[in-house]
Amino acid sequence: MRKHFQAWNIILVAIFAILFFAVLYPILFIFKASFVDPETGAFSLKSYATFLHYPYYMRCLRNSLFVSTLSTLLAVAIGIPFAFFLSRYRIPGKNLIRTLGTLPLILPTFIGAEAWLILLGRNGLFAKVFHGIGIEIPSIYGWKGIVLVFTLQFFPFVFLMVSAAIHAIDRSLEEAATNLGAGKLRVFFTVTLPVVTPAILSGALVVFYLCIENFGVPVLIGEDFKVLSVQAYNEFISELGGNPAMAGALSMILLAITLGLTIFQKYWVERKNYTMTSLNPIDVKRLRPLPTFLIWLFCAGVVFVALFPFAVVMVSSVTKTQGPVMYFGQFSLENFIRAFTIAPRPIINSFFLATTATLIGIVFGVVVSYLLVRKRGAVSYLLDILVMLPLAIAGTVQGIALAATYNKGFIVLTGTWMILVLAYFIRKAPYSIKTTSSLLQQIDPSVEEASINLGVPPLRSFIRVVIPIMMPGIIAGGIIMWVTTLAELSSTIVLYYGPWATMTVEIFQRIGSGDFGPASAYATILIVSVVIPLFILNRVSGKDLASSL
Amino acid sequence: MRVELTNITKLFGPLRAVDDVSLAIGEGDFFTLLGPSGCGKTTLLRTIAGFYNPDAGEIRFGERLINHIPAHRRETGMVFQNYALFPHLSVYDNIAYGLKARRIPKPEIAERIGKILESVQLAGLEKRSPSKLSGGQQQRVALARALVISPQILLMDEPLSNLDAKLRVSMREEIRRIQKKLGITTIYVTHDQEEAMAVSDRIAILNRGRLEQVGTPAEIYYRPESRFAAEFMGSSNIIEMDVTGWDGDQCRIVAETAGQKFSLRGEKPSGARIILSVRPEWIRVVAGQADGEANVLSGTVLSSTFLGSMIRYRVSGPGGTPIVIEVHDPNEGSIRKDGEIIRYRLPPDRPLVIRD
Repeated sequence: MRKHFQAWNIILVAIFAILFFAVLYPILFIFKASFVDPETGAFSLKSYATFLHYPYYMRCLRNSLFVSTLSTLLAVAIGIPFAFFLSRYRIPGKNLIRTLGTLPLILPTFIGAEAWLILLGRNGLFAKVFHGIGIEIPSIYGWKGIVLVFTLQFFPFVFLMVSAAIHAIDRSLEEAATNLGAGKLRVFFTVTLPVVTPAILSGALVVFYLCIENFGVPVLIGEDFKVLSVQAYNEFISELGGNPAMAGALSMILLAITLGLTIFQKYWVERKNYTMTSLNPIDVKRLRPLPTFLIWLFCAGVVFVALFPFAVVMVSSVTKTQGPVMYFGQFSLENFIRAFTIAPRPIINSFFLATTATLIGIVFGVVVSYLLVRKRGAVSYLLDILVMLPLAIAGTVQGIALAATYNKGFIVLTGTWMILVLAYFIRKAPYSIKTTSSLLQQIDPSVEEASINLGVPPLRSFIRVVIPIMMPGIIAGGIIMWVTTLAELSSTIVLYYGPWATMTVEIFQRIGSGDFGPASAYATILIVSVVIPLFILNRVSGKDLASSL
Repeated sequence: MRVELTNITKLFGPLRAVDDVSLAIGEGDFFTLLGPSGCGKTTLLRTIAGFYNPDAGEIRFGERLINHIPAHRRETGMVFQNYALFPHLSVYDNIAYGLKARRIPKPEIAERIGKILESVQLAGLEKRSPSKLSGGQQQRVALARALVISPQILLMDEPLSNLDAKLRVSMREEIRRIQKKLGITTIYVTHDQEEAMAVSDRIAILNRGRLEQVGTPAEIYYRPESRFAAEFMGSSNIIEMDVTGWDGDQCRIVAETAGQKFSLRGEKPSGARIILSVRPEWIRVVAGQADGEANVLSGTVLSSTFLGSMIRYRVSGPGGTPIVIEVHDPNEGSIRKDGEIIRYRLPPDRPLVIRD
């Protein structure tokens, strides 16, 4: 027993060491860098002073807050009625609408941005069509495009959280209000809505967080409209002598925001949630044909507008292209042939890196889950915070921190594929930890003790009893890790170097140079690789696609 | 297999969960650790199983010191409070688990499982998943899994606490039947005194990590040594008295309370006060008004509960605490009303004196 305990202590130390080197130290490193004058090397508040002094930088902050707030409001405005209509009323094709309605949030946002560029950008399909009939549609570039893509891709978070809250309401709650003399509208505004408000807030907060940390969408369609993540990246990467202190300062500001949001979510919003056990869910109502049609039109319309761009990308991938000019209607497999034969490296890189990071992440996740659930105490509390910390760090910030820290000195990782794997597994491991530890929590520790009592030593008991019990969580977490790694752009773009460009980098660069055809081919491969595993997982586990994200 | 514990102490930080406990459990005994939650009974059982290391003391199975034998090599069979069935394995594989760990050949595994399923009346359910079983069936699987490895010692941690009241009674009888048939030394943990009395050869009462009393159910019931043991095992009236004398020839204590004289059986008291534990059914209601009769007290009926075969009175007592009296098979005419004065006699020949 005592030996067994020591073994776990050694593992615990190793895990803390990994977390320190991969998460804490890099953040502290750029925190320190942000206070150093790049020319003299002395302590200085110059970067922060510059930030406050130049409207250019302040505008980035304002822009970030502006697009995030607006997108969040719109996502809430779409998500709430979407959730209510689907939960309360009989609508044709409801299950399909529900499934498709969750799809946007697993599809990479920068591919959404690409699609809208194909449709409404300069030389865009719709832009040309409308121009042809004499209508000038507003430009997609700048904040409008960013808000459009954010809203359409993130509203499902509000939808999912609100529907879960609606389903948790017992019939008797609204019946009690009716029995006390409240009319239908009064019941809705005095009982139903207040009860789901914490869920709305949670959803809104998640959406706001995802908007503010997003990199791909604003960098692709923001153009001169710069947000924090993009500006931090520009400062860091700039060929004309980047400014590490300024990149550090911008990263710190972004980090303060994301961290603040996460803490707010954890300690305030989560506590406000009402716990209810719904014995009798509320009946699904059948409305008269016209209202039913209008509700259906809204829900199906939202899903259509959200998914149509991805269909456009997939169509584009099999369309004849010449640079930025696309010949819609002319079928061609050239883009795929080129992707698979001439430039297959990004595909191989993506799959290799995602698989490697996932396998490491699974082992890491299983061990951490076990420590979190079974070895409770002050140490596991600290471990919980540290291991979940990457969820509160924007990909760009984490990328910059890792690249800056391991650029020179004792350990040099920048410019190797290892740093990509490190960033991926540490950023995605929380998904695996969530799924495995929630399963482990349901299993009493005595199950393991029963195995030991029956004559199987502790480590073998762990392998033969605990691992099989956690297996569904390990598989689910692994799939989520794998697909989100595959679609990761923000940290990759900072950390990759030449030969290790991934599909996401390739798509990003091709869009930048206007090569929509090849970009669409890689994007299609990415969409298929993301959707199929999640679809299978959904079928097998019977859970909502996004419930584990 | 005999089990011997010598001065076992187990600390959790500053808490002495088990405090200097010594016990000897005989071959084939059904031995129960009884006490309220937090008394250390489960900790002691888990220490015997090897899930905790004692901070002091020795554990012996037979002649063999097993302090340093890891849990998986102690050859005990354990039944857990929540059964701890492996959710990913069928009933058959759950039971086979310990046999496979011992590398028993397959045909023998099948044979032994067949036999044990027979004796716990689960034949035909081999392929089921544990989640598809009722609480009672899960309990039987847990028991079969622990017994099939032919352990030297069977450990049971509140095995019946998750079952409904009716099933608890039938299961405890079945556990006792199987235990007797196999003659296996069993250590059983429960907080339910009725359950403990029903199944045990001997009982150890634990309180705050310390041993209060060890004995057969009857010994503890009739001769509780401490106030805690008296009150935990059945219900009891605790009465304090002043000692006025001792008759060494007759082994009798002369005592006094509320102006009444008492003559009680007992050893020479060490102090000026003694404490009595009197079971409610040992007290007799006496007729008449006369005062001065030895061992007789009087009080007002505060409340009464009529239960058919028995009537239970709460009567004002000499020390201020009400005295509970149970009259079995009462005559309809003799039932007293609330507020009436009642006279009752404490038994002169039962051992009533306990240590504080």
